[in-house]
Amino acid sequence: MNDIILNLKKEILRGEATKIKELVKKAIDQGLAPLEILEKALRPAMEEVGKKFEDLEIFLPDMMKAAEAMTAGTETLRPYLGPGNADIKKGLILLGTVEGDVHEIGKNIVRVMLEGVGFKVIDLGYNVPVLTFVEKVKELNPDILGMSALMTTTMVHMPRVIKELQDRDLKKKVKIIVGGAPVLPDWAEKIGADGYGENAGEAVNLVRRLVK
Amino acid sequence: MSTPYRLWEIQERSNTGPQCDEDEFLSKIFSPTLQKIVKKYEIKYNPKTPVPADDDLADRVWKAGWELFQEVGLYNTDTHRIIKVSDDEIKEALYVAKDQYWVGAGKDAVLWKHRKIEDREPPFCLFSPDCTCSEELHYSMCLAYLKEPLLDGFCAPILEDSIGLKIRSGSPFEINACTQHIYNLRLAAKQVGRPGVFLVAVGTAEHDSGQIAVSNENWGVRTTDSRLIGTLTEFKTADTLLNRVVHCAQYGCYVGNLTGPIYGGWCGGSEGVAVTLVAYSLNGLCIHGAIYNLHFPFHLNLASNTTRELLWPIAVAGQAMARNSKLLYKSGGYTNAGPMTEMVFYEAACHALVSTVNSWHLWEIGAARNKHRNRTTPLEARIAMEVGHAVAGQGMTREEANDIALRLLSIYEEQAATAPLGKEYQECYDVATALPTQEHFDMYRKIKDELSNMGIEFLY
Repeated sequence: MNDIILNLKKEILRGEATKIKELVKKAIDQGLAPLEILEKALRPAMEEVGKKFEDLEIFLPDMMKAAEAMTAGTETLRPYLGPGNADIKKGLILLGTVEGDVHEIGKNIVRVMLEGVGFKVIDLGYNVPVLTFVEKVKELNPDILGMSALMTTTMVHMPRVIKELQDRDLKKKVKIIVGGAPVLPDWAEKIGADGYGENAGEAVNLVRRLVK
Repeated sequence: MSTPYRLWEIQERSNTGPQCDEDEFLSKIFSPTLQKIVKKYEIKYNPKTPVPADDDLADRVWKAGWELFQEVGLYNTDTHRIIKVSDDEIKEALYVAKDQYWVGAGKDAVLWKHRKIEDREPPFCLFSPDCTCSEELHYSMCLAYLKEPLLDGFCAPILEDSIGLKIRSGSPFEINACTQHIYNLRLAAKQVGRPGVFLVAVGTAEHDSGQIAVSNENWGVRTTDSRLIGTLTEFKTADTLLNRVVHCAQYGCYVGNLTGPIYGGWCGGSEGVAVTLVAYSLNGLCIHGAIYNLHFPFHLNLASNTTRELLWPIAVAGQAMARNSKLLYKSGGYTNAGPMTEMVFYEAACHALVSTVNSWHLWEIGAARNKHRNRTTPLEARIAMEVGHAVAGQGMTREEANDIALRLLSIYEEQAATAPLGKEYQECYDVATALPTQEHFDMYRKIKDELSNMGIEFLY
């Protein structure tokens, strides 16, 4: 039993999506509970991947491969999870890079790390218009809205989004976090965001605190 | 543009090149290709030798960079097509490229020449604070930098506000700010007696509309000046960037190719960064029509490039390009520490030393990871440029540079993640006179003496 858990963890770390699918099926055949596979093997493995990436013991392509393996594992597990458990997630996160800004590597890293530890993430991409953020908050009712910017001339869209949410009485329904190269804690406070992450690891911890 | 008649043939490839979904480009094309090429050419990073002296390694990195550019191409995020350049086109562009250009105007014009490894010719010194700054300090900072004796060219700090209003990219506020930016620059250059100095401008423009609005021989960016055209990380572009290629080619100003490959990101480790630097240089030449490259590889977590995992690719890529091309390329520095700390001077010195000995020209220096407003001053750039002139003048070898780099790294490397933020410009410069405070100058002088004791033979 422990062997298969260890093997699942190992193959997640190695980013072997095909092997993960096989191992998940094997684990089910051996009688492991689907939730146990998720909670004792897949998610802890992705936590470890996230930690290694934070310390740059592994690099972004390695983490992305691990994330693909994780997705393959959870998709294989999905039919075996009960209806109530099929989408067990810690919370819904909406992410995007603000209007006028086409830089998204930081936002993408945050997305993968959040998904890896069990959050459901909807990524709106880059150059997201102010009102698209607002419409999506209204439509999807996320726990967290995360906005990223690389330029001082684009991060000014963050308070615009917040104001539009306030004007529509939506601000109190969602926690807002911000990040990106020029963004600092005082900026986050000034514009009325609920939190700021210096890097992807901090962003994940921040989301965990806010979603509790 | 080094091959002007190919401008439209290459632009058209945004419409006709191979189609690829954006999500797939980096994970399925760029990253696996880079990993395969690094392995094929047996490129291996050695942290014990931040400045290797291995010509064969340099030549392999050159071949690897060429192969990467040719195989991967440049992805246009607006059309979801890949712009590819053939082997013959790369060869042609390298042949046609000049190894020297006159930049700037009148008495302030400077001949900027290709450098070789351990070259005794000093590097072209482009001073650039890179950071954003308060509107009320912008003019003073321009003056302060333009007073620097070793300055061959200047790129001013970036405005965040203009006439008290926040600048929003792509909006009228940005165009207004770009006008203010270039007026400040041109007036400051005139006031210090360098009216024709080579300017790289305007950094305030994120959007192409801001850049294009200030092309003007009389009051704006001149044809003797330069624009930077960036690439999205990694090997991606967009029409807003390619618009600048066409504008600059037709306006007639110099183009610099701006790239910042990320250590720990899609490039992977130091080996991938080195190969990517070479590949980006070919991209700049063939697609952006750049006469020079400004590369600022940086660390994913630290956002700096003065630690050994970044110095190594800077050294190796410089050697690769020096041995195999006649290109012009600048090494852009980002320190961890902020102004008026001893650490920032050591970091600046180390970045300049490694870059200069390995054939780069200098673009110095963004302090405090270039993240904090007003937190850069000319003095840390000055020490970098003085080191550049010194090590070129004394003909420092790669082996000697490696020894000194290791000594410098032993002073600051462990503090990279916890580096002091230092002070803001107005805390260590007199804003009215645009001169450093005595305390700031004394610290610079002290570190310069220490560097001298390490074997750097300053020329004055």
